[in-house]
Order: sequence, then C-alpha cells, then structure tokens
Amino acid sequence: MARKWGMVVDLDRCTGCEACVVACRAENNVPTVGEDQAARGRAIHWIRVERYWEGEFPDVRLKFRPVLCQQCDSAPCEPTCPTYASHHTSEGLNAQIYNRCIGTRYCANACPYSVRFFNFYNPVWDKPFHLQLNPDVSVREVGVMEKCTFCVQRIQAAEIQAEGEKRGLKDGEFNPACVQTCPPKAMVFGDLNDPDSEVSRLARSNRATKLLGELGTKPNVTYFEAESWEE
Amino acid sequence: MKRRNFIKVAAITGATTALDSCGNPEHQLIRFIPEEDLTPGVAEWKPSVCTICPAGCGLMVCVMEGDAEVIRHGQAGLMKMGLAKKLEGNPTHPVNQGKLCPRGQAGLQVTYHPDRLAHPLKRSGPRGSGQFQEISWDEAIRELVSRLAALRSTNQAASLAFLTKPLSGQRRDLIEKFLQAFGAPPGISFEPFDETVLRRANELSFDRPQMPTFDLARANYVMVFGADFLGTWNSPVAQSVAYGVMRQGRAGSRGKFVMVEPRMSQTGANADEWIPAPMGAEGILALGIAHVILNEKLRPSGEAARAGQLVDGWAKGLPDYTPQAVESSTGILPATITRLAREMASHTPGVAIIGGAPLAQTNGLFSALAVNALNALLGNVERPGGLLFTPPLPSNLPAPGGAAPASFAEIRTLVEKAQGLQGLLLYDANPVFACPRSLGVREALEKVPFIASFGNFIDETSVLADLILPDHSPLESWLDHVPESGVPEAVVSLAPPALHPLHNTRAMSDVLLDVACQLGGPLAAALPHRAFEDMLRAAYEGLGGPKKQEPKEAGAAWDKMHAQGGWWSAEVQKPVFPARPVSHRPYANHGPAFDGAEKDYPLHFLPYASPMFLDGSLAHLPWLQETPDPVSTVMWGTSVEMNPRTAGLKGIKQGDLVEVTSQHGSLRAPALISPGIAPDTVAMPVGQGHEHFSRYASGRGANPLAILAPMIEPETGALAWAATRVKISRAGDGRLALFAGGLRQHPQNEGER
Repeated sequence: MARKWGMVVDLDRCTGCEACVVACRAENNVPTVGEDQAARGRAIHWIRVERYWEGEFPDVRLKFRPVLCQQCDSAPCEPTCPTYASHHTSEGLNAQIYNRCIGTRYCANACPYSVRFFNFYNPVWDKPFHLQLNPDVSVREVGVMEKCTFCVQRIQAAEIQAEGEKRGLKDGEFNPACVQTCPPKAMVFGDLNDPDSEVSRLARSNRATKLLGELGTKPNVTYFEAESWEE
Repeated sequence: MKRRNFIKVAAITGATTALDSCGNPEHQLIRFIPEEDLTPGVAEWKPSVCTICPAGCGLMVCVMEGDAEVIRHGQAGLMKMGLAKKLEGNPTHPVNQGKLCPRGQAGLQVTYHPDRLAHPLKRSGPRGSGQFQEISWDEAIRELVSRLAALRSTNQAASLAFLTKPLSGQRRDLIEKFLQAFGAPPGISFEPFDETVLRRANELSFDRPQMPTFDLARANYVMVFGADFLGTWNSPVAQSVAYGVMRQGRAGSRGKFVMVEPRMSQTGANADEWIPAPMGAEGILALGIAHVILNEKLRPSGEAARAGQLVDGWAKGLPDYTPQAVESSTGILPATITRLAREMASHTPGVAIIGGAPLAQTNGLFSALAVNALNALLGNVERPGGLLFTPPLPSNLPAPGGAAPASFAEIRTLVEKAQGLQGLLLYDANPVFACPRSLGVREALEKVPFIASFGNFIDETSVLADLILPDHSPLESWLDHVPESGVPEAVVSLAPPALHPLHNTRAMSDVLLDVACQLGGPLAAALPHRAFEDMLRAAYEGLGGPKKQEPKEAGAAWDKMHAQGGWWSAEVQKPVFPARPVSHRPYANHGPAFDGAEKDYPLHFLPYASPMFLDGSLAHLPWLQETPDPVSTVMWGTSVEMNPRTAGLKGIKQGDLVEVTSQHGSLRAPALISPGIAPDTVAMPVGQGHEHFSRYASGRGANPLAILAPMIEPETGALAWAATRVKISRAGDGRLALFAGGLRQHPQNEGER
C-alpha cells in the first residue's frame, strides 16, 4: 500500500517556543520580507504558532497552536487551481508545482487554514546569506504561491536511500524540520497507512481532534488538546 | 589528500620558515584547495557546539558542497567548499538530546551574516564613529603585541582589563592563564541578566555556587517563581525536553505546573495554574507555603536542615508568614496558599524553581533562599524528580562554568576604575548596550587609551575599539563548553570546526596563543601551545579513560570525543554533599525597594529576556526579527505591554506611541494592550534599540535596559533590573508589525496604512 504521511501535534506538550518556525524557515528557503511587508500581513510562515487569549486579568489563559498545512484528503485548495499547480500526490500530500503556478491566489482564498503564501516580490538574500540556501529545495519567485510540503525533500531522500539499500522505511527514520527540532517532542510524523507507526497509533487515540474538522476537509494533521491537571 | 596531511606536506616544503614563528600553522596556508571529501549534493553531518547561550547544547551541522566567493590573503576567488546548510540538535548530546530552540536554529545566520567582520580593522575616524580601515593580520597582531609589550615594559600590566561574554572550559582557562602570566587582573565575564543572586543562594543553602538543574521528567509538581524555563532561562532546551515528558511522556501521571509572575510569559502560558504575585513578593509566598507545610506537619521540619536555618524564623515555624499575613503583602487568598502547600506536599517528588525578575529585586537573595528552603523542606534536593546540580568534571579541569560571571557591582567597579585603565580587551561583551545608561559605561570606556576587540560584529561597545581582530564564526572554530547546569552528569561539549573560514578571520583563542608566544617570557611558558586545538587536546584527552600505553589508542579516544561532539560520563555521579554548618545569620525580608516614588512613578517596569533576541545579542539575525514573539506576536520591533485598564486611564490605544519615563531616562515604543499583565506593571522585551548592530537591528525599537535605575541586591551586588518604577504617557501615533490577525496577507485596513 502506498504511504500516507501524517502528523500528530500534542498541544499539552507544545510550549509555544517557535523552534519549529525557525527550523522550517532554515530548511525550506523561506524568505524574510522585512518590517514593512510584515506589517501588511505578507510575512511567509509555512508553520506558525497561533496564540489565543481567553478571559481577563487575573483569570487569563493563553493557548498556543502550531498551524501548518493540514495536508487534507479533501483539500479545498486543489480543485480551485486553474493550472493544476495545487494537486494531490500519491502519498497524500497537498503539493504545489511552483513553475506551473500563475499566482491567481484562488488556493489561498479557498484554504480555511491560511497556510498558503503568495510571493509579492522576488525573495532577497543579502550576500552571503544565499550560501545557506538548501540546494534540495527550490527558491520561489515573485507571483508564486508557496506552502508547507511536510519537507518532501527529506521524504524523497529517505525513500531513495531505503530503495537503494533494498529495505523499507523505518518509522521515525527521518522527520520534517519542525518535528526534528521540537524540544518538548510535541510533534510526531510518520506513515498513517502503517498501523504500527507511532503517528497512526497516536492518531487513533481518544485525544485526537482535527482543526476545523467540521468543514469536511479531512486533514492528515491531528491535534491533541491540552489537558488539565487532575489530583 | 586530507587537510591535515596537506598541512604536514606544506610544513616540510615551502612554508618551513614561516612555521618556525608563532601562531597556528594553518594561518600560513592559502586555502584555495577544494575539499575532496565532499560529494556534490550529498550532506555530511559534523558536530559542533551552540555558543548562543551558556546552556552548551550539542549541534549537528549539515555540510554540503557549494561555491563561495572568498578572499584569501588579498586574492578574491570562487572556491568549492563545504557550506553549513542547517543546524540540528546532536541526538547523543545529554543536554539537548537532538533538539534545538529557535535561537539555536537561527545561529546559522551568524556565519553568513552580511555585516560580519571579514578582516582585521584599525580605527580611522574619531572613536565611536564606526570608521575603520582594513589592515592585514600581521599588522593587527604586531599592533596588539607592541601595545601589550609597552604596558608590560612600563610596569602597567595591571592596568589591562579583559571583558568577555560568559565563557567556560578552555577558552576561559586560556584567557585566565594569559592575564595571569601577563600580570593583569582576572578577566571579567559580563552577563546582562545577572545570575549572581541564584549562584550565591545555592552556595549558601547547598554549598553549590552554580545554576541549578531540574529533574522535571520525573517531577509530579513544579512551582515556578518568575523563571522563563521553557523559553530563555538557564538550560531551556534540556528543560523543555523534560517538560514534554512531565506532561505526556509517562503513563497516567501528568505533573502539575504552577507559575507565579506578574506578566504572563511564554512559559507561564503553559501553566495549569497562573498566579500573578506582586513583584518582589515571591519569597514571601514561598514562605507562606512553607508555613502551612510546617504548621500542618505535612513534612518533618528537620528536613530543610541548613537551607531552613538560613531563613529567619524557620525554627519557630515561620510565625510571620501565616496565610493571612502573606495575603496582606501578596493579595493571594489564604485558601489558595493552603491548597498549594497541601498539593505540593502530597505530590512528591516535585520542585520549586526561582529565576529571572524575582531575583532582580533588592530582596532577591532572600527570595532565592526562601525557595531553596521550601525545596529542602519538601525533600526535593538531589532526589529524582527534584533539584540537582551538575557535578564537576572528574579531573582537575575547571569547575562547571569556569569562573562565575561578574556581578553588576564588579562591572560598576570596572567602570569607576576605567580612568586608570591603559588597555581593554573585548570579546563579545556589550556592556554599553546592556547596562543602565546612568552607569555611563560608554563615557568611561571612551577614556581608555587602547581598546582591542575580538568580536566579529560591530556593536555599541566594539564600535569604540581602536583595533578589531575578528574571530571566526562559531561553526568555523574549535569549541569547548562545560555546561554549568541542565544535566545530571558531567559534560564537555567539544567540536572541531564544521567548515573552513569564509572570511579572513582568525579564532580569538589562536590569536591569543600567537600573541603570548610573541610576547615571550612567562606568557610563552604559560601558554606553550601553537594552536588552540593542541590546548584542547592536552586538557581533555585524559577524559577518554586511563592513558593507554599505545599512542594509537590514546588518539582514538580523542578522535571519538570530537567525532561525537564532546565527552560525557557514562553514568550519573552522585555528587558529594559537604554538610558544613551554617556560617551566616538567618536572612529576613527587607524590601523590596523600588527606584522612584509611587505617586510620581506609579508603574512597575519589567524588562524581560526576549524569546528571540535574549539580551539583544541576537537582534542582528533577520530570521529571528521576522519570527513573531510567541506572546505579543510583534515582529521587527519592540512594544510596551500594558493591561487594558492601565492603557484606558491614559487614553492609550493599541499601537499608539508611548513614552516610558523613569528617574533615569525615557524611551518611546508602541503600546501593546494585553490581558496577561497586572495593571500596576508595564513590560518590555529586551533586545531591540540597538544603535550599532548590523543593518537589521540598528535604529530599530527601544532598549528598556537603558532607562533602568542602578538598583542592586545589597548582599551580592547583582543588578536589580526589575526594581525600577516608571510613568507612561501617550506620545503620538505609532506602528506595530503584529503577526496575530494578519494571516490573510491582505488586511482589511491596508488603505489606512
């Protein structure tokens, strides 16, 4: 059976530190846009940590939720694309073909999670920052939508490696950048079609919830809500 | 051919005469040779050490071949070389266990920063103007050697000072040996968020003058007073890894986490119970809890032993800290105090943690001793699930952390004596930025006749230098670090360079060895090594086990050490606890005292370590500038955080420019209205407000440290950086780049901006 990539995010472990956010930027050649564009809401974050205040001082709560592309089975972004740049891969990813994208931004409009980002300008890396660019990830140009890929370059590298060694992939053998760096291990990644993988074991837990699951998007990212202390 | 072999060949052939002189032989090489051990497109992973904070996390660096424009001995060229592409945590390292914080992830940008200094510089304009001219390494070292030789020959060696960031291990040792042999006073390591109080409290209570370690993974109850332990404080990655286990890593036993602080931090947001106590009242609350435990006999009172004897009134059951008495000074209900005490006593093992703002008060030492006594009473000290101390290395190597960083009082003494200084050496310490402006650091340093800096960026302090000898980036250097805390075992983080130098820079440690050799005499005798690598090997090789007879095997231990990124003992050693009697009178609470009268300056001012920039030393990295603050979501700027009630009284709205005034200065920054802060407090992240710190940080935001009062904790001389009162007023329209609410990339009010 083909693999189907998924993730579980345990909000009871997540501390909101944003290590995942910086790790993603480093891995995926995500450009910075500077203060003026950031103030206009044009900053690009393939993964972000959402923050919610509840209540008023002193009975106040603050909750964090890392949000990345939910890699939906019924992704609203895909059918809206006139050029088939947004498409579904055989391994369940909502992929974006950058050189097919003509920048209609229909997909960003359709996505209820706001995880698709438009390049309003050509990205700039002041020299020699460009020496850091990851050669396994293409740099996106002006007019193109970009988004989380579950670090598809790492998926492919691991698959090629395993194939070369004539073996299957081991659970946890590789991880997307966000999962790999997460200090409290709030994120688990793996093959949902492998019933023994940690991610599919966790996804079957009674703590499992989906973000905006009522929309019928069938996300492959599962959230465990934060728990409260019981004596 | 391997690089090492090339060096050997070069030594035999052309470069023999040069190699007879001082300095690392590698400096004589012109590195235009491609690296042959890299396959294009294939990543090689090399160990390194994160130097961004004192935690000492182990790194794995993804190195891939790339084309870099480099300048080697004046010649520009395109060179195929190994380039660092990504940093990950070293999975075998006991501190961070394969994980990294956001700052560690962004550390990669230090190496490739466009404003990193690429070659030695000599001042060409007036001091502080930032005008420098490029010079050669020979000139730079000749200049430094002649300045130092002149000091020595005129018997003014004692008027040299060396100011560094907190260092440990052999780099600290090298500086100390250098200064001692030169005849200068010991080096001063500058720590902007002064931790002197906690080290002193741990020495008094437990004979361990060091930062503490917490076994959170096995703790059932964690009560935290002010410490941002999941964000910026102490060893945040180690603490976050353990926190994850405490939450969901153990079957059926999720620990409780209680946070006490006046402004909800990223750490506090994760608490099961959040208690906003007034600033400076944390120790009182801890003793209120201890009172209930003693009074209800929930724990044997003798358990606290020495830590208890240090607290005034402990033997009598803390009669001044009844829940009712604590309520009158903290506003926390007696029922809450009693409940917390009962929960803590019945959910052992657990730990109470104090750090950050509560210790930056005039009664900081009292508060730390109170929390130490509470831990001792609960039986938390040196027990699984409790408070631990990282043991020293098992030989006569420097103790963890090396010489402790200086307190604010020592910095103040340095400033006062600056008049008599003849020379100042700087290494990545930026007191001009990080000290209250009223201290006059800049004005004092400007009078020092000669300043040399080894840092690889121009900042507010190094801009005053006459001579700059830029260090390699950490990834290009031999590094060692002995973590002071964060692990229950002795650890040395150690690694060779992960990539060749990009620019015409030299490691500070190699330059110092070179200078010592050229100065000769006692200096050359004290520091006989040609290269820092040799010094590291001499220091640490013996850790690989008993010295083997065969040189081949001895080499194997060293090779293993730097291939895995350090040395760590196989088993956790139980440290010896000397039960010395108390040699101090019990401490009572005096204070807290604040600068500024309440009627004129009605608000407490709480500066806090920025989750992205720490003390400001990372504000030059655009990745961190564009990462939203987790709590305020501010990007590329600063804000003044205030309660809606506080803002309403002054007619201040979100984003308005606010003037914050203390008795010692004022600053302006946009307002951020937040429900997570007490109405009597305004808070600001430290880190922005740089004048000279790269194109990305200069002239951006405001620096709250500048307007602080020079209040100190009297027992230790530490800066009480949370003891300043301020007033605020609306100063006009401002602008905030906020991430929250701006996800759609085309905000509704775009036309208004």
